[in-house]
Amino acid sequence: MEAVAEQKSVYLQDFQQRDRASEPTWWGTRRETAMQRFEAAGFPSRKVEAWKQTKLAHVTQEHFRAAASAGQLDQDAQSRLAVVDDAVRIVFVDGILDADRSQLDRLPDGLTVRTLADALQESGGVAETHLARHADAEAHPFLALNTAFTTEGLVIEVGSGAAPAQPLELVHVMTADAGSVAAWPRVLIHGATSSEVTVVQRYFGADGTAYMTSPVTEIVADANSQVNFYQHVEEGDQGAHLGVIHATVDRDARINGHALHASGRTVRTDFYVNLDGPGGDATLNGLYLVRNGQFADIHTWVRHNADHCTSQQLMKGVLEGKSEAVFDGMIHVARDAQQTDADQQNRNLLLSPKALAHSNPRLEIYADDVKCGHGSTVGELDEDAVLYMRTRGVSDEEARGVLTFAFANEMLESVALQSLREYEREALLSLLPGEEAVRKLL
Amino acid sequence: MALLEIRNLHATVEGEEILKGINLSLNTGEVHAIMGPNGSGKSTLAKVIAGDPGYEVTGGEVLLDGKDILEMEPEERAREGMFLGFQYPVEIPGVSNTYFLKAAANAIRKHRGEPEVDAAQFLKHVRERMELVQMDESLLKRPVNAGFSGGEKKRNEIFQMAVLEPRLAILDETDSGLDIDALRTVSHGVNALRSDDRGFLLITHYQRLLNYIVPDTVHVMVDGRIVKSGGKELAEELEASGYAMFEEGTAA
Repeated sequence: MEAVAEQKSVYLQDFQQRDRASEPTWWGTRRETAMQRFEAAGFPSRKVEAWKQTKLAHVTQEHFRAAASAGQLDQDAQSRLAVVDDAVRIVFVDGILDADRSQLDRLPDGLTVRTLADALQESGGVAETHLARHADAEAHPFLALNTAFTTEGLVIEVGSGAAPAQPLELVHVMTADAGSVAAWPRVLIHGATSSEVTVVQRYFGADGTAYMTSPVTEIVADANSQVNFYQHVEEGDQGAHLGVIHATVDRDARINGHALHASGRTVRTDFYVNLDGPGGDATLNGLYLVRNGQFADIHTWVRHNADHCTSQQLMKGVLEGKSEAVFDGMIHVARDAQQTDADQQNRNLLLSPKALAHSNPRLEIYADDVKCGHGSTVGELDEDAVLYMRTRGVSDEEARGVLTFAFANEMLESVALQSLREYEREALLSLLPGEEAVRKLL
Repeated sequence: MALLEIRNLHATVEGEEILKGINLSLNTGEVHAIMGPNGSGKSTLAKVIAGDPGYEVTGGEVLLDGKDILEMEPEERAREGMFLGFQYPVEIPGVSNTYFLKAAANAIRKHRGEPEVDAAQFLKHVRERMELVQMDESLLKRPVNAGFSGGEKKRNEIFQMAVLEPRLAILDETDSGLDIDALRTVSHGVNALRSDDRGFLLITHYQRLLNYIVPDTVHVMVDGRIVKSGGKELAEELEASGYAMFEEGTAA
């Protein structure tokens, strides 16, 4: 516990030493509050229910600080910057916006994107109205740290009725120079009434570098709007990723979320969705691929606070070698949220006897006229299916590879952006056993 | 030389002996039927010949074209020309029937040192074979057996067999649970494939199948042993009298 107390103090010291003179008072107050919240609770011990299965020691014992300047992108990183076809791309390197690689000047009509610093200067604007006004209600240590420390980020506004055809692709790269660096990107997406937007956020980093990316995305979806967001995490093998996506969904609005955790030493995403107006809908899909020594975690908190809302969650995990994963999913139905239709499914495929998958569905239902379903499975490959394929001449390795791919690939079918789907499919193929053989069969 | 030669085959599952000394010799051009009550070991025999790792062979030999296959992996046996039609065909999500068949056909061809199938020719071959079992072409694009009815799954087994043209086909209760139309179709498929260089081993619980596929030899299997072998009239005898006399015979 001593180490944890110490860590708390180093972040407090960092906070107190920062020059925040240029920040508006309202923002300063929100930051102070967040810092106090973090300071009061510290990093969670394993006694804290929401964190008891998350392996954090290598994060809490290290002292991460924002980078003074961005590192150099290597060949590999450069080749991975652009994935989504026809997107407006905005790039962060080691947590710092890279203006030269970003396309803030070619935004489609109906879409306003400003840097966090710019948006903070506007009095009574969208940042003052919404930033840290929704997500910060949650008790989450890394969310609090993000609010306290973020300097780099974006405020995205979609105009009323606007539906820009181009998706936004936000790319967060951590370089080999990012040892002990923390990236705290903060993104606020405000979808005005009847608007629709697609935002892809991709995170990747250099292998062998111990860094921490701790992004917070706040989504505010006004009545009848739709926000599609994709979270693609491929951190380096020593990288930690502790992310929060928080959505506040008004009447008849829709949230479509998709997360892929492909790599990273410790990767956790917390999805908070508040369905606050009647007729809201949330779809959350997730896939985590965990290999030797890695840890992946998806927490969901879907709250039905109004009547006639629907939510669907489908999360799948594939675990190889000595690896561990957590899915912890809550559906909360408030007393007045009648006619709720909520479903949550989690399926895990263990490819090794040393892999460990935790699956914790949590349903809290206080209304009486609701339909809530949930299912949770942890299993191995269907040996009958393997044998069936082998009796037709297909090798054992091919059979296992194909069945594993098919299990995981179901999650990619819901990715509407073809270029992203293909990229994720390639990632999937390269991570799964029997790659070459599987390619031939598909 | 027999196509399939089984000598004193013993096999266990989880320590329990299921096959207790099976002897059987099947020549090319022949159709043999194995009948027997539930739990007699018929399906175990099929699975052991195909190489199901869930069973342990504790004694005896199985020769295909004179080659000992017991040390071979299931896929090697398939590539040597063996086909097992499953009693309960398995769904393979995410893999279309066509791709699956092409992969299977190529695996067999590679084993024989032949080049991969020509896509256009293969499709033509596949279409011909579909007609044989009156299978709807839409099923080709669907994942293997996914959402198929019971009858469609069994037809699909015969269809796959027809495409792969094995030397030896073992059909494990392919007739069970089929309505008469499906049974006719499946039987038609098998009869059309009967030839001088191919053999069939039909495992069945019901004599009805043998009205449609007339076997050369019928074996009665009880308690892990073949207790009687004879011509097709043996099946009719069984239909009339049941297995009781054989079961008493083994008990005595």
